[in-house]
Amino acid sequence: MGRNCWRAITALVIAIGMSGTALAADPTLDVVKRRGAVVCGVNGSVPGFSLLNAVKEWEGLDVDLCRGVAAAVLGKADKVKFVALSTQQRFEALRSGDVDVLAANSTITLQRTAGFGLEFTTPNYYDGQGFVVPKKLGIAGATALANRDICTLRGTTHEDNMKAWFGERRLRALPLLFDNQEAMYEAFFAGRCVAVTQDSTALAATVVRSGKAADYMMLPDVISREPLGPYVRRGDDAWADVVRWTQYAMLDAEALGITRDKASEYLRSNDPRVQRLLGVTPGNGKALGLDETWAYNIVAQVGNYGESYERNVGRGSALKFARGINALWNQGGLMYPMPFR
Amino acid sequence: MQLLSKLVTVGLAAALALPFAAHAESTLDVVKKRGQVICGVNTGLGGFSMADSQGKWKGLDVDMCGAVAAAVLGDATKIKLTPLSAQQRFLALQSGEIDILVRNSTITLQRDAGLGIQYTGVNFYDGQGFMVTKKAGVKELKELGGATICVAQGTTHEANMAGYFRSRGLTIKPVVFESQDIMYEAFFGGRCDAMTQDSSALASALATRNKSADYMVLPELISKEPLGPFVRRGDDQWAAVVRWSLYAMLEAEEKGVTQANVDEQLKSTEPLIQNLLGVKEGNGKALGLDEKWAYTIIKQVGNYGESFERNVGQGSPLKLQRGVNGLWNKGGLMYPMPIR
Repeated sequence: MGRNCWRAITALVIAIGMSGTALAADPTLDVVKRRGAVVCGVNGSVPGFSLLNAVKEWEGLDVDLCRGVAAAVLGKADKVKFVALSTQQRFEALRSGDVDVLAANSTITLQRTAGFGLEFTTPNYYDGQGFVVPKKLGIAGATALANRDICTLRGTTHEDNMKAWFGERRLRALPLLFDNQEAMYEAFFAGRCVAVTQDSTALAATVVRSGKAADYMMLPDVISREPLGPYVRRGDDAWADVVRWTQYAMLDAEALGITRDKASEYLRSNDPRVQRLLGVTPGNGKALGLDETWAYNIVAQVGNYGESYERNVGRGSALKFARGINALWNQGGLMYPMPFR
Repeated sequence: MQLLSKLVTVGLAAALALPFAAHAESTLDVVKKRGQVICGVNTGLGGFSMADSQGKWKGLDVDMCGAVAAAVLGDATKIKLTPLSAQQRFLALQSGEIDILVRNSTITLQRDAGLGIQYTGVNFYDGQGFMVTKKAGVKELKELGGATICVAQGTTHEANMAGYFRSRGLTIKPVVFESQDIMYEAFFGGRCDAMTQDSSALASALATRNKSADYMVLPELISKEPLGPFVRRGDDQWAAVVRWSLYAMLEAEEKGVTQANVDEQLKSTEPLIQNLLGVKEGNGKALGLDEKWAYTIIKQVGNYGESFERNVGQGSPLKLQRGVNGLWNKGGLMYPMPIR
């Protein structure tokens, strides 16, 4: 038992202890500020949510959320590195630290958050699982899909939901499983399945994108509550707060009528709610560990939630989704920003 | 060398334990060991937390506390309520004196991000509301165009109200009082057609004055005061237990699972109910609880709708309508995240 042995052991113990501490004490907010960019995991192939457009720019509701976070933390909405992730990769990429935030039209569920080392912030889109069929088949409702092949993504909640929904009706679902969306839709458009199932937004987006919207239709059955929202790593509450309040800032801006074009004019508003949101009255930035102009930067560079909604999935997009339950709380929807004060 | 390897093992174990030991003990473990959930509540607010004539505490916030005890300890009565003033409440949570703060506290950014605490969900959407006489037959706010409205000075209520009606092209006649009590007296004396305040305060005023036969609170709200439980920041496991206890009560309401029928519902073939009641396992394990956690909440406390009705709704002196506190598919904002 020489002295060197003890030294080696001591060094080992200290090294392990320190690395452990360093891991636990390196909040994502600090990492992002140092790096000067937000690394954002997105789906990458869902029009309206995250997709590279014809001029190779990312666009979508999830993309705007990431840009909002970059504007809040770094003052520049374009300081985002987007990483396209498959549904199988997405949670592992977040857990392992490959991405800072996962905004990949992922459903918020108990077991994904409580048991998985992850946390959700708040929904950015209230979705539900639906079905698309070729119009020529004359199918009116989902029960007519029993015992027929339904194109379904592997590793999502859709397979379970569908089995459950048919099971309750004493019918049998026949999911035909695919590992990625492109393969699934290719098979569906080739007539391999009688229907394709996914969250209704993703379905609509893909059908519109295919240019075949005239030949297909969405069935009226929405079989689940699918709140979609960003995830962050558990135990990093400061970062979770930044992402959550970025979402609320976009909603609050909509509620107060502050748009991207008019954000700078609103800096002169004497409405105390506007002053608090835009940082004219300081306090919110400090509480979040951000510059007091954080929310102003979001709105001035990305826009409010309604603007993001309309250009990505609403009237300004090919999807033409109505606001529905995604409208503000006082306009018939569920979107309710917590108070900025 | 055997000694060396032993030493290395011990050293490794100690080193690996270090970063974890640095964190405070998880509240879930503390509560399980103690056998009791300690909740900070209001010293007395009808419908939310108040002792009845037999000294039994009742209210929406008290039920929330009982639900967590049912989930964690299997017994909704294993709670200790600590009445707290508005000044004491956050310090009591930060210092570890209480496990949860359920004291009709508004969720705000600076409380969530800046005080070492975090909110878990909304158990009551409060906000500025309006009271009218029943005999006036008013059902909606827009019918108050031209009305005289009693309002207290020095609050945001007057400006909120002016903005709300102006943006709808309606004129109103505000009658401003220097204090809340003087306003109540004037309104119940017939001075105004309507009176405005946070809806929970209006309902309490109605209940304590025994006036609910003649007056009512309209369901529409014109401002946001979301009330909900707070826990200490950094204790995400405990936050999850509190958050999903509330969602379980909401999911039960949506699926029609009640205190009375929950045993029957154990036989349901519906997967959402099987998930909720732990017939299909997994949710309990993920939360660090028995798989019966949500079953026990519903069996002992009831679903959210039942708790609402008996504490602040039609079964209570407050007689509040569900309004924004209804389920998402029935016109309200209550939307449980999926329990699966």
